[in-house]
Amino acid sequence: MIPEIGYFALVLAMALSLLLCIFPLWGAYTGNLRLMRAAPSLALGQCLFVLFSFGILIYITLTDDFTVAYVAHHSSSTLPWYYKVTSTWGGHEGAILLWLVMQSSWTALVALMSKSLPWVLRARVLGVLGFLGVGFMLYTLWMSSPFERLLPYFPVEGRDLNPLLQDPGMIIHPPLLYMGYVGLSVSFSFAIAALLTGKLDNTWAKWSRPWTMVAWAFLTLGITIGSWWAYAELGWGGWWFWDPVENASLMPWLVATALLHSLAVTEKRGVFKSWTVLLAITAFSLCLLGTFIVRSGIIVSVHAFATDPDRGLYILSFLAVVVGGSLALYAARVSQVHSEGRYRFASREVALWLNNIFLVVATLIVLLGTLLPMIHKELGLGSISIGVPFFNQMFAILIVPFALLLGIAPMLRWKQNKLSPLAKKWLVNVALSLVATAAWLFSNYEQVSALTFMATALAVWIMFSTVSDLLQKISLQASISEGFKRLGLSYWAMVLGHVGLAFVIASVTLTSAYSVERAVAMKPGDIATLNEYQYRFDGVKEIRGPNYSGHAGVVTVLKDDELVTELYAEKRLYDIGMQFMTEAAIDDGFFRDLYLALGEQMSQGAWSLRIYHKPYVRWMWLGGILISLAGFIVLADKRYRRRVKKGAQA
Amino acid sequence: MNRKILGFLPFLIFVLLCVFLYQGLFGNPRELQTGRLGQTMPSFNLPDLMDENKRWTEKDLLGEVYLMNVWGTWCPTCIAELGYLTKLREQGVKIVGLYYEQAYDPDFGDHFDMNALRKEVDTMLSRAGNPYQFNILDLERSLALDLGVSGAPETFLVDKKGTILLHHTGDINQRVWRSKFLPALEELQ
Repeated sequence: MIPEIGYFALVLAMALSLLLCIFPLWGAYTGNLRLMRAAPSLALGQCLFVLFSFGILIYITLTDDFTVAYVAHHSSSTLPWYYKVTSTWGGHEGAILLWLVMQSSWTALVALMSKSLPWVLRARVLGVLGFLGVGFMLYTLWMSSPFERLLPYFPVEGRDLNPLLQDPGMIIHPPLLYMGYVGLSVSFSFAIAALLTGKLDNTWAKWSRPWTMVAWAFLTLGITIGSWWAYAELGWGGWWFWDPVENASLMPWLVATALLHSLAVTEKRGVFKSWTVLLAITAFSLCLLGTFIVRSGIIVSVHAFATDPDRGLYILSFLAVVVGGSLALYAARVSQVHSEGRYRFASREVALWLNNIFLVVATLIVLLGTLLPMIHKELGLGSISIGVPFFNQMFAILIVPFALLLGIAPMLRWKQNKLSPLAKKWLVNVALSLVATAAWLFSNYEQVSALTFMATALAVWIMFSTVSDLLQKISLQASISEGFKRLGLSYWAMVLGHVGLAFVIASVTLTSAYSVERAVAMKPGDIATLNEYQYRFDGVKEIRGPNYSGHAGVVTVLKDDELVTELYAEKRLYDIGMQFMTEAAIDDGFFRDLYLALGEQMSQGAWSLRIYHKPYVRWMWLGGILISLAGFIVLADKRYRRRVKKGAQA
Repeated sequence: MNRKILGFLPFLIFVLLCVFLYQGLFGNPRELQTGRLGQTMPSFNLPDLMDENKRWTEKDLLGEVYLMNVWGTWCPTCIAELGYLTKLREQGVKIVGLYYEQAYDPDFGDHFDMNALRKEVDTMLSRAGNPYQFNILDLERSLALDLGVSGAPETFLVDKKGTILLHHTGDINQRVWRSKFLPALEELQ
């Protein structure tokens, strides 16, 4: 009975979504205020029913109701309770329900926080969100319900959660990623509402900006955690594979990053308006395209997701309606949009325009690399594969002008600049970065390739330029504390974001160039040396977890005869699926990670082990966290806070 | 360019993309290399996985319709399909395993322990089901390369004369079996 209640709650939510789509949009079209006013309560009601339904899925998973197919396929009675909760989004149907939870929560939040918007705009934004809700709920109810029963024959034990997903990273990675994906649907709705209203002024950009910022911050965090999970859990020591599924989350991120910068220009200067709208549409479209790629099986990926052509066809149809419809609307309206502001070549406008070009080109590279193998085949040209080297090379080329620009742009002012005083500052920064990079690399490493030097110098250059601009701006104020206060949170967010990117670039460069690994066969007592560390193999002990058994290789790490740490590299065999999992042992550090994976047992008590030394690898995730922090910090900005307060009083 | 035409450009590009996505959806991207279809099984002479003194050649397989299933214990999807394949064996389908070892690297061979592998395979098959008449060990991946195998699991359907009728990439389940393998088998009779 209980699963059926969960399903029924979704049906009710879907009915409310349908009304949320029709009433306000119709009301805005005919100017009927009563219809428009229904929107916020419909949005809240829809959200409550979806949350209730999701609560029921969690409940039936926790109570091991294996008559429900989803629970039988993705959970088991021996699974620890927190992974049972995780399993509610570990499979396709549950993941889509989680998407619905996010979607309806964002919609409810928009309904609550948009009180100071004009009714016509507010109704349209919520109406578009309602339309998206209908699309996803129909999909869930029709072909992807997590409440389907396995009656009359049901298993006494579930098939367990895929061991790969039994990891803390997996508990938070999908919700964060979906927060980001679905959050971009808010920017999308604002864009469509603005196009429908025909008023593409900077009010639209002002409203859309904080929402986009938060969605983007969640997306950044989600991707960062995903990369960390791949590193910690997959046992191959890597953090990014350019797999179609990874690319599916990177594309909306790149476009959303472009959108953030372009929204700033539109809000402050009233230019790039049609371009910004197009970016908002594109960012969410790429989320839908990503979902399609991941869920349809159209592209073969290393990530095992439920794939099914029927589901693919539904998502493709939905994609065609949503994206096709909005691009057609865009085409019809764009010729009426005119830019107001004027600017010269040496201006912040042009710098941000270039930033957008780079980010969009990067997106196109990822899109082409992901889809080209399929298109190639459809055109009858045979199978080709585009792999990691293609993406690495293209991004290596693209990052050079991008990073150079990033160091210059924040110092530029709107409209126009005199370049000569700035040029002097830039030259100083260039010289400083080169010297600092040389000092850093040559004191640590015997061999430094030109490419490594250049890429590191770019990261240092971003760091220097950002910090020197910050110091300059503070020094203009009466006192340092005054400077800190005056700069504004948007500026601080920019500093954080750019510094974070510098960390990521440095990390990717140095860890690619200077990671070393050794595969060794060791008997108890053997010592292997890698860089300045000695690894002593102390044998293997049996381990027993709640739903797995296996071995842990015990390794003592020494440096100059001093104990550094003791590592346990596990090899687990999960009881139900009989799957072997490598649980790498990691000693993390600010400057290096010691990473250890246990291999096979060999003859005469020896075991094979893989030892990695990964310099600066942690900076990557540190950078990602800093970048996402930039997005969250902006929310505390007075401009947005004031408006929320004002809205609350109204 | 005219502003109006420029505005339509994203729409047109999207429509074009949709056409490809639609085709891709039904173009069955999992049939990657079909180059081997209709040809005979390449000749090989490889040891048995469980007993290296016993060797198998393509001639041993003539005279019967069989499935050749490429698999490995390192591959979760392979383990997942063992149950269904075992059911097929019980229904009288002859299934030969082509064991594809991932950990073994010819340039790095000294770390490979045959006994450990046999033990692992044995545990796996006794717990998840054993669909195989026997397993061929293709350590150097010579047969896998000749067949155009790109990963695991992959399955070939071969007739009595040794002609390859079907090459399936991905797991075999009821849906795949009914829609793909059964029609091909019926055609044989």
